[in-house]
Amino acid sequence: MSRFDPRTLGDELTFTEVLVSVVLGFVALALLLSLAAGRLGPSYFLFLFGLAGMYALLSLGLNAQWGFGGLINFSVAAFFGIGAYGAALMTAGNSPIAGGFSPLIGLIVALLVAAIVAVAIGVPTLRLRADYLAIATLGLAEVIRLFLRNERQWTNGSAGIRGIPSFFEGWPLLGTFPQTMPTLEIVIVVGSPITLGTQFWRQLLNVSLLLAFLGGAFFVLRRAQQSPWGRVLRTIRSDEDLAKALGKNTFAFKMQAFVLGSVIMALAGVFYAHLNLFVNPGDLDPITTFYVWVAVILGGSGSNRGALLGGFVVVAIREGSRFLNDFAWFPIDGAPLRLLLIGLLIVLVMRFRPQGVLPPQRELIWPSAIEGSSTPERPTSGVRERKGGSGGGGGNGNDGGDNDE
Amino acid sequence: MSVIELAANGVVYSSIIVLASIGLSLIYSIAGFANFAHGDTMTVGAYATLVAFGLIGGVGFTILGVPLGFFAAVGVGIAAAAVVAVVTQRMVYDALDVGSIGLLITSIGIAFIYRALIQMGFGADTVRYDIPSLRPIESLQQYGVLITAHDLATVLSAALLVTGLHVLLQHTDLGRKMRAMADNPDLARVSGIRTYRVKLWSWVIGAGLAGAGGAFLGLFNQLSPRMGFNLLLVVFAAVILGGIGSVYGAVLGGFLIGMIVEMTPLLSRVGVPIGIEYAEAVAFLIMVAILLVRPTGIAGDTAEGGGV
Repeated sequence: MSRFDPRTLGDELTFTEVLVSVVLGFVALALLLSLAAGRLGPSYFLFLFGLAGMYALLSLGLNAQWGFGGLINFSVAAFFGIGAYGAALMTAGNSPIAGGFSPLIGLIVALLVAAIVAVAIGVPTLRLRADYLAIATLGLAEVIRLFLRNERQWTNGSAGIRGIPSFFEGWPLLGTFPQTMPTLEIVIVVGSPITLGTQFWRQLLNVSLLLAFLGGAFFVLRRAQQSPWGRVLRTIRSDEDLAKALGKNTFAFKMQAFVLGSVIMALAGVFYAHLNLFVNPGDLDPITTFYVWVAVILGGSGSNRGALLGGFVVVAIREGSRFLNDFAWFPIDGAPLRLLLIGLLIVLVMRFRPQGVLPPQRELIWPSAIEGSSTPERPTSGVRERKGGSGGGGGNGNDGGDNDE
Repeated sequence: MSVIELAANGVVYSSIIVLASIGLSLIYSIAGFANFAHGDTMTVGAYATLVAFGLIGGVGFTILGVPLGFFAAVGVGIAAAAVVAVVTQRMVYDALDVGSIGLLITSIGIAFIYRALIQMGFGADTVRYDIPSLRPIESLQQYGVLITAHDLATVLSAALLVTGLHVLLQHTDLGRKMRAMADNPDLARVSGIRTYRVKLWSWVIGAGLAGAGGAFLGLFNQLSPRMGFNLLLVVFAAVILGGIGSVYGAVLGGFLIGMIVEMTPLLSRVGVPIGIEYAEAVAFLIMVAILLVRPTGIAGDTAEGGGV
């Protein structure tokens, strides 16, 4: 596979990709240095990483809807909340309805409920024009939030749900992993040792769980995007009438994308419930929806790696503005500053780079389809051999990849 | 609470929704996108009124318990909202080339910027105008109606503004151009109407009315940086119910949605277990239902409106 050859990797990157890689490299270096110097607590760092990954997961879910199929879904916070509440209600000690189940069962129930709600919302609204869909989904998300806040007998209302176990509680080995691991002390800079205690190991488990969720979602979506299914969705996004004229059941495709994205958002919610160990209706505030939108637009609509990048940037803004509050000399409160930065980011991206920082490029194309054209001197297997075998003259099979269909 | 009392409250609440929904509908049809910053334009109007009232003070005699200075301050609020909207239109929306969905997303960013700046200047806490709150009007209490003179002032001011808009639309040159543009922008353009200028005037009028709505919303409840954003979806429900692009539809839709929200307690009385806490949810569900069954609304024609 030529794409993973380190010597040619640099040639295929665009200028922006190189720039983004360099900036990310510096940020990672700065974080590592402050970790080593003991300025940043390792367990807090992992918590932040978990939060960033959670936003990245939400962005991946929205990307499946908006980026692939052009569905304007303003109910991200609602599906996130369904995931969080589903997991919390099934597993928490003081859950008003079920409670005490294994987190795995909570995960399954939460995702199922999210899928059912997605179908219920999708059936009426997915036929709507794009801007109506935006308004309708925002309205329905508010209905869900009001429901969770007011039905105290089922959800504890605005008091929220406490006592959620961590995801691995009750598992053999992993359940007691944070307690059994020794407390380590590492001294890199003399005078400020880094302590890795129970809290650190717990967050480490959380982050591994997140990486599993994120990796799973990323590869499912990448595969889906490159598949014929993804191509149909892109056609629907750019011209739905064309897709219809080609005989595609566009409603079914849009519904599949909507449910897929919503389930991924719920997955982020499940993770959040086990990370934060407390959920309340404030987690369904519409602002969460718009944070995720910023992440997707910034990263590049339709681009999965863009969604990952956007998720991390949003958390940098969210937590960075909170961090600024610690400085007494800084005159502006964190909450409105965060809002201002998010607003400015939306306007600036739409003004100067509406396609996003990392717009989808090769990732839309099945790898073998570009092999032939990008590296003609490299003998390739597969397509060309088949062409040669059928008697087409294997010598100048340079265009083999293009004529594949 | 009696039906008549709920209805009276409904009229007061409706008049605020009507002021907001006219502007949203105008901008939706003439600028061609769903303006999510409209609610925060109301907030701008309310806070500008607050500042202006602080400067002017309660000069002059009082009408319906509201000093004359407050009406002057509302005028300042209207002007401020209009100026802010026109500046935004010229600096941001005009420079974009992203289609109606892109403009919609941009307007969310604009909404956040407005709200963030207001919150930086005035804090996140609620504030009130420096007008003493009143007891309900005595002579109406015998009919079971509990409204204050301030409520009456709100309703009358809204009626005055809507009448003024009606005169403008029906009897002035600008009004005819605006109606022509809302109907068919391309036809208006080839007929020699300077569409750009008319577009700016729609922003002025739409945002100005929103500013007035915000100012009176502050009198009705209190002021907070989220006041407008919280109302935005209800206003969208009103516009969609009335029919996007129709000013008269927006008036009717605003009135109906305002009444429905305030009359929700009646539902539990007739056996439907939906409490007052779901008043807005009812409005949103009606909105979704209208979008499905009759997306052109009550007053809209059958042709596709502006937008996409």
